[in-house]
Amino acid sequence: MREVAGSERRSPAGDGQGPKANATGPWAEHLGPGATVIRFEINGAPQSVCAPPTRRLVDILREDLDLTGTKVGCDIGRCGACTVLMDGQPVNACLVMAYQAAGASVLTIEGLASAREGTEAVAGSLWLHPIQRAFLDAGGFQCGYCTPGMILASKALLDEHPQPTEEQVREALAGNLCRCTGYAGVWRAIELAAAWMGRSAP
Amino acid sequence: MGNEVTVRSDVASKLRGETRYVADIHLPGELYGGVVRSPHAHARIVKVDVEKARAIPGVQAVLTADDVPGGAYGPTQFKDWNILAKDRVLFVGDEVVAVAATSEAALRAALAAVEVTYELLPAVLQPEEALAPGAPVVHDEQPDNRPMHVQLERGDVDAAFAKAHIIRGGRYTTNRIYQGHLEPIGVLANWSEEEGLTIWAPSHIPYRARETYAAAFGLPEDKVRIVVPPIGGSFGAKYVLKAHVIAAALAMAAKQPVRMVFDRYEDMLTAHPRVPLTIDIRIAADAEGRFLGKDVVVWGDAGARVYWSPNVMATACTRPDSLYHFGAVRAEGHLCYTNHSPTTCMRGFGNAEMLFAVESVIDEIADGLGIDPVEIRLRNIVRRGEVTIHGYQLDSCELEACLRQAAELSGWARRQALPPNRGLGVALGNHVSGYRGIDSRFEGSTAVARLRDDGRVEIETGEIDLGQGMSATYAAIAARVLEISVDSVIVKSGDTARYPFGIGTLASRSTVMGGNAVKLAAEQLRQQLTVFAQGEYGADVELIGGVVQSGGAAHSLAEVAARYRSRYAGDTLEVRASYRPETDFPGKDFYGNPSPAYPFAAHVAEVEVDPETGRVRVVGYWAVHDAGVVLNRTAAIGQVVGGVAQGIGWATMEDLVVAEGQVKNLSLLDYRMPGASDIPPVSVSFVEVPDPHGPFGAKSVGEVAIDPAPAAVANAIANAIGARGRHLPLSPERVWRLLHAEEEQR
Repeated sequence: MREVAGSERRSPAGDGQGPKANATGPWAEHLGPGATVIRFEINGAPQSVCAPPTRRLVDILREDLDLTGTKVGCDIGRCGACTVLMDGQPVNACLVMAYQAAGASVLTIEGLASAREGTEAVAGSLWLHPIQRAFLDAGGFQCGYCTPGMILASKALLDEHPQPTEEQVREALAGNLCRCTGYAGVWRAIELAAAWMGRSAP
Repeated sequence: MGNEVTVRSDVASKLRGETRYVADIHLPGELYGGVVRSPHAHARIVKVDVEKARAIPGVQAVLTADDVPGGAYGPTQFKDWNILAKDRVLFVGDEVVAVAATSEAALRAALAAVEVTYELLPAVLQPEEALAPGAPVVHDEQPDNRPMHVQLERGDVDAAFAKAHIIRGGRYTTNRIYQGHLEPIGVLANWSEEEGLTIWAPSHIPYRARETYAAAFGLPEDKVRIVVPPIGGSFGAKYVLKAHVIAAALAMAAKQPVRMVFDRYEDMLTAHPRVPLTIDIRIAADAEGRFLGKDVVVWGDAGARVYWSPNVMATACTRPDSLYHFGAVRAEGHLCYTNHSPTTCMRGFGNAEMLFAVESVIDEIADGLGIDPVEIRLRNIVRRGEVTIHGYQLDSCELEACLRQAAELSGWARRQALPPNRGLGVALGNHVSGYRGIDSRFEGSTAVARLRDDGRVEIETGEIDLGQGMSATYAAIAARVLEISVDSVIVKSGDTARYPFGIGTLASRSTVMGGNAVKLAAEQLRQQLTVFAQGEYGADVELIGGVVQSGGAAHSLAEVAARYRSRYAGDTLEVRASYRPETDFPGKDFYGNPSPAYPFAAHVAEVEVDPETGRVRVVGYWAVHDAGVVLNRTAAIGQVVGGVAQGIGWATMEDLVVAEGQVKNLSLLDYRMPGASDIPPVSVSFVEVPDPHGPFGAKSVGEVAIDPAPAAVANAIANAIGARGRHLPLSPERVWRLLHAEEEQR
């Protein structure tokens, strides 16, 4: 359910956000000045939050919606730990403000395993997207802190380039730091996922 | 809480974003904690006014030094920590006032409302200056500013140099490296009269943390519980931290839980980076390139308090002497207090630093004698069966095979014919698998093995998984002993109130120390399970494929577990075993065999230097390791590539720049760490010969992975440009200056 066209979400705050609800009363202090209702889609489901237009998307996800799979690493858009997909494009959720996300469709790591591309079972009842499974098999992570962002950056890459060149992988990972793996496992995971998803493509 | 998960599902949770790191954990009624820090490198505190801060609505606690215990404590034998600064601040970032409030806004307002009046004092910012007469004194108890002074000589070094055919050396410096953990420092603390302190602290040495924090507050150790959430990277940064202590003090004062999660700015401002070393080194050799003597003087910048810098200094002064036969060795180490943020360990722990100098000088000797760098190393390396000059007993050592293989794989022979501005460099490394000197009282590890009701086996350990694959390795060890599937083993750790004591994950100890304990516990569980099953089913029982077979019938382990419960009043079959290695405590003379097993590595780096800009690109890398028998190949390869990547960053780009005591590059844009395009494909191979002391022949791999890397890169750069860089990092500017024969800046 999309209430607002994607092209409208970059218009100034208040435009196309549905009814404006400036918060008053006991919530005003918590929400901050000028809080409005912001509607968007998270992991395929409609969602609305009451937040000031400048609240960071990463805070909305982590604090308001308890989607803590999106991590905070550097706060300045360098490390990529907060990478989510907004209308299919990777963005640093620490640099996206609430008003910019209004009307968008946001995919976080929590939504990936249930995304439509097909899933694969591991570990009993746990389900993984093929990219997640590839990160597991290829040693694409260690401490796991950069991993949600790294996986979503990889998804954006493979969505655009199902069989990426070395240069395209390099470009796609340029915004995501990993201190553990030295990137070799991430690289192998992308190759593996590309092979799997290429095979199962219609 | 803790890492209470199955081996497979804990990794699956990381992929699904379900892992709860400390910043993702909340307690009802939790407060936001924060700290007012010194803006000065050294100053007298004239006045602290917290009245305005206390009056801000939502502020629940404001603490100064007068409100907290004032006794000195610390995580090592050097007790120079406080909870909050009382009379003086000793570095930029030193903690003066702590605040807890019901909202982040109230916290920020309160921190801003605290007024501290300082009187500036002269600061000491260089280790050599710290030793000069009349230098400002950092701690009155240590008027010479030198908490540690290593003096060590084995053999007659002066005589060795007197008969040398060639002597090479010089001054080398290593840089202030930020560990670069992606997860910033964070903590959650709670206090109750009945339970005492509970601290959710991502620390990989939680039992030392418990001991230290108990001492800080004058509490018995059983009134302090450390719960370890999954750790988002450490590399040495997350041992024992003042942030944990301050959050605990706030929780005790406010009688409410307090969370304190740093942003990247605060994390870097208060970082405890790698100990920067200044190394004056000389190595003497005969005409055939056989080493006769090594002489080093090292100055280390400990910063204003002691964390693990003494261990780093001791390692730098000794460890490479068990990699080569140097003939006679002498080391003098000055660990100096300065008015910098305390420095501490990072992966490699002093050894990688000293190897940068040693391996550089070895290449200079090879050049001077016209001997190939691989050949000169083959003439001097240690080999299996030897006892090294400091008493390391090398019961396994495939260093020669590693070196020969690294040369072969990298195509070392083409070094003579490389195009301009291309270079190949080789360097070796060694390490320990646990180090007896980490704790003066004991060494080893304890594991519990338990047969669960569902027939799976649960392992408890005091060591901590940081993502390096420890739990998976322990599961593999237990599964192999019990002949059950690895998915049937659950590994638990990370709660000092629930799991056995462990010294922790440092000194590359988890595979050999914890792994041997797990192996012993699994063996005892298997034995007791067999005895019990014999009583139940008959003398012919056999444990095969996860079931107990007897007389043609198969009994599941769940059935055995149920029978055990019914026989023993509901109790569970469990055993507890301790591995106690036969190692020597390295005393003042640093002599003895401090580890059960020593890993080795040979690395070759290939670089391309842009002569216009001085920028170095590492274009090829070959790492050949002797880690004994590899128990978890994916994880071991991940350790090696990760270590190499950190080494490449260290050698070519990373530097926490400090001027007048103030860190200048406080963000991940200004402190550049390697990205995916900075790391070439790394070829990783293992020479697998079992070590007699490691579990199933395994040795460590975590730290030896980085040990040779900065030196290999530096040697490749020297080969590419024909000039030697002696100061890390070999940044584009430094390399450009070397290329243009200008005085190298330092």
